[in-house]
Amino acid sequence: MADMDADTAAHTEPSVEEEEPFFSNLDLLLFSLIVGLVVYWYMSRKKPEPIPEFKKLDTPAPAARDTSFIEKMKKTGKNIIVFYGSQTGTGEEFANRLSKDAQRYGMKGMAADPEEYEMAELARLSQIENSLAIFCMATYGEGDPTDNAQDFYDWLQEIDDEDLSGLNYTVFALGNKTYEHYNAMGKYVDKRLEELGAKRIFDLGLGDDDGNLEEDFVSWREQFWPSVCEHFGVEASGDDSSIRQYELKEHTDLNMNKVYSGEMGRLKSFEVQKPPYDSKNPFLAPVTVNRKLNKAGDRHLMHVELDITGSKIRYDSGDHVAVFPTNDSAMVNKLGQILGVDLDVVISLNNLDEESNKKHPFPCPTTYRTALTHYLDISQPPRTNVLYELAQYASDPKDQENMRRMSSSSPEGKALYHSWVQGACRNILAILEDMPSLRPPVDHLCELLPRLQARYYSIASSSKVHPDRISICAVVVEYETPTGRTNKGVATNWLKNKLATDNGHKSTVPMFIRKSQFRLPFKATNPVIMIGPGTGIAPFMGFIQERGWLKEQGKEVGETVLYFGCRYKNEDYIYQEELEAAEKKGVLTQLNIAFSRDQEQKVYVQHLLKNSKEHLWKLIHSDNAHIYVCGDAKNMAKDVQTALQDIAEELGSMTRTQATDYVKKLMTKGRYSQDVWT
Amino acid sequence: MTTKIKAEPKSSGVTNGGARIVVDGDDEVLSPTDLSEMLAEGTKDSHDKAENCQFVKDFLRGRIKRELFKRGTAALYFVYAAMEEEIEKNEDHPHIAPIYFPAELHRREALARDLEYFYGEDWESQISLSAGTKPYVDRIHEVGQRDPVLLVAHSYTRYMGDLSGGQILKKVAQRALKLSSTGEGLNFYQFEGIHSQKGFKQLYRSRMNELELDAETKERIVGESNRAFSFNMMVFTELEEIGKTIKEEVQDAGLGHSHAEIMEGGDINKCPYYAAKMVASGNPTYACQLAMTLLTHPPCQWALAAWVALLAGFTAWYLL
Repeated sequence: MADMDADTAAHTEPSVEEEEPFFSNLDLLLFSLIVGLVVYWYMSRKKPEPIPEFKKLDTPAPAARDTSFIEKMKKTGKNIIVFYGSQTGTGEEFANRLSKDAQRYGMKGMAADPEEYEMAELARLSQIENSLAIFCMATYGEGDPTDNAQDFYDWLQEIDDEDLSGLNYTVFALGNKTYEHYNAMGKYVDKRLEELGAKRIFDLGLGDDDGNLEEDFVSWREQFWPSVCEHFGVEASGDDSSIRQYELKEHTDLNMNKVYSGEMGRLKSFEVQKPPYDSKNPFLAPVTVNRKLNKAGDRHLMHVELDITGSKIRYDSGDHVAVFPTNDSAMVNKLGQILGVDLDVVISLNNLDEESNKKHPFPCPTTYRTALTHYLDISQPPRTNVLYELAQYASDPKDQENMRRMSSSSPEGKALYHSWVQGACRNILAILEDMPSLRPPVDHLCELLPRLQARYYSIASSSKVHPDRISICAVVVEYETPTGRTNKGVATNWLKNKLATDNGHKSTVPMFIRKSQFRLPFKATNPVIMIGPGTGIAPFMGFIQERGWLKEQGKEVGETVLYFGCRYKNEDYIYQEELEAAEKKGVLTQLNIAFSRDQEQKVYVQHLLKNSKEHLWKLIHSDNAHIYVCGDAKNMAKDVQTALQDIAEELGSMTRTQATDYVKKLMTKGRYSQDVWT
Repeated sequence: MTTKIKAEPKSSGVTNGGARIVVDGDDEVLSPTDLSEMLAEGTKDSHDKAENCQFVKDFLRGRIKRELFKRGTAALYFVYAAMEEEIEKNEDHPHIAPIYFPAELHRREALARDLEYFYGEDWESQISLSAGTKPYVDRIHEVGQRDPVLLVAHSYTRYMGDLSGGQILKKVAQRALKLSSTGEGLNFYQFEGIHSQKGFKQLYRSRMNELELDAETKERIVGESNRAFSFNMMVFTELEEIGKTIKEEVQDAGLGHSHAEIMEGGDINKCPYYAAKMVASGNPTYACQLAMTLLTHPPCQWALAAWVALLAGFTAWYLL
């Protein structure tokens, strides 16, 4: 008995020493089991019911739903509202992006569907401090509003005595130039709001989906926000630090094999070349010929030949060759010096937005030197958004003020930018030189500068005659700026220095072909009229070679007429030997040259067209001739078109309108092609 | 005499937004015998009809179900494969050579890539030529073999349309189907070999007009183009019908598969909501199925795991 007692005593002792739980262990076990089962059962029951219920709940909801955007803005502390008229979602997307942008500038935005809100409240938006209504309006169909903007549109039309003064607004229009009523809705909203007394705080933005809607939007938006900030007297948030898009990472021990040295896509694609060749993977074509074309004068016109043997690259006469130029190394060095940085540090700029597809602004990791030489454009006058972001790095308050002013949308600001940057042709180096207190960090600068683009040249050879060679005809761009500096065209100067042999090495040009629609007629018997003054003659050298080749093949070739123009017969009559030979052989049935400055009055190609109008009209109207114009877009192409219209009017007995339509029709039907550049 | 500026509608196998695209003016003054103009004029009605059919109107408004889009893509694949096969066979034919632009135009490879994106690697075994598409494909083979000049009509009807409304359709599809902006699933709409769609259409028209054809053949081509439009409409109508049988998609991010995919598979029992409804109404087999579904759902698994761990903890503590 005592033993048992001792046992029990011994047994109870430890349990007394142990913490006395509120519930027994078994209780806890059972409890958690029950809880688990209840939760499980609850989960399995809850889900199905809401779904059928949800649909019914939806319909009575609108009556109770808050349609006051002002209330919503007040509740959520927003001062910017971005309405969107969107059919396919692009307008809505832009509105979302704009509303997110607001944060960068210390403001708060929300996107809103005009169909869901009482738009009449626009009259009271001024209740909110620093308020702004942005409209992203797409045009649908025949100049109509999108479905969700129909009510808003009707309202705008009906209200005549509504006073919208106090409403700050701006509009970005989304449209497509191939449609007759391009951006009608956006334009209407912009105009109508103004008529009703609202205050436009930034110019209407026009986006063209036939061109590049995204680009139009981004450019507009880059100028828009600085002007908003200025309008409200608001600084970019975060005191002096602006919102960077990328984060700098310096690499110290990276194997040089992993570092980009100018490739556009795949690492080492310049060392190990693999077809097919395109913009991400250009072919390094050796330069076999690089000669000066003009006999005299202060310009330098050149003929460059690239060897494409073994590349499997094919082209047609009329196609374009794209080349990837690099910036002048002296200029890059100067930038390094003025910014006080070691250009050979290996870095990466990584996108802070991890969702973005664009991980880096240019191929990384790389050195600053490579970035400034191969990837970034350091020659064009910087855009206003670049100036805006750099302003903070000007230690002199006056410099900073000027930078901000130039990037604003005020008339004085715009004027200052136009004269100090554009008019004076200042590139980033010039700006840094002329603003000694402006010293941005090099990595931020690399984030802001635009990418260096490939340059396109009309191919000046025929693949039938020269399948392994691509010829380029170009004039070197070089000019004095108002500040006394010499600006040099990036690609043309780079090409000029690509000599056929450079200390025994062959110079190479990274290139690829971009197909064009500039083509000789399918039938060799079809007459062609080629108009290409200056370097505009490039594709026609290819055309003429090809027509000559067809003739040699025994084919019957139709009339081949050329109108060329240059300044002086003895200076820049390029390809004179080739052209005269072609004329002699009968490949060129007519060679007409306008030497603009060889006599007192200026003579251009359009004058020569008029001189042979009867023959031309016969070729065009009766013989189905194809017309080709290549060269300067701004003046020459327009003048030529006018001259042809004049001929149609006169010899075709047409009215002005008819003649204009006739010529336009030739274009639509592919009988009048243009390869022109500004 | 003043000239009216008439809107010249582009021919389009699908559509171009219901709006008139202004190209140029009157064709009375100029040569009315150009094939390009005869086609534009002669197919105006067909074009309008195609634009206004329900499927197209819905599509433009973003109302396109993924399943329908996939089937539409498959239909296009069969059509373009047939057309491009016949064009290749006839590439040296005097009436085909001038309009032979494989690098610029051909869509078969692009469509194959899109189908791979939508159906997976074994896409070829998953798609089949539908009843509504077969007559179109058969006709293409027929003209390719017996009267190749009529291929011009088919080529014109599809490609010119693709190059006109293409970008708009691409945007609509991208948005409606939540496709990535990198273009997967939409390769069909991207003409990598064409820099300027407008420029290319002009070139194509000039080539069509260079074909040496008598008036009668040109008329026949116009007639065949109208036929191509009606073949396209047959495909739309079929898609419309299929569309009616597909239930509304319920995006189920939580349980990881959409209704549409289940309907596709035909097994409604796989639907968790359907199964849950059955459980609530007391059906035991569905309860098990629901349990299995929930058990395969990661958060459920974690909850269960946590609970088991807790239980184990208590047990251990109790035993020790």
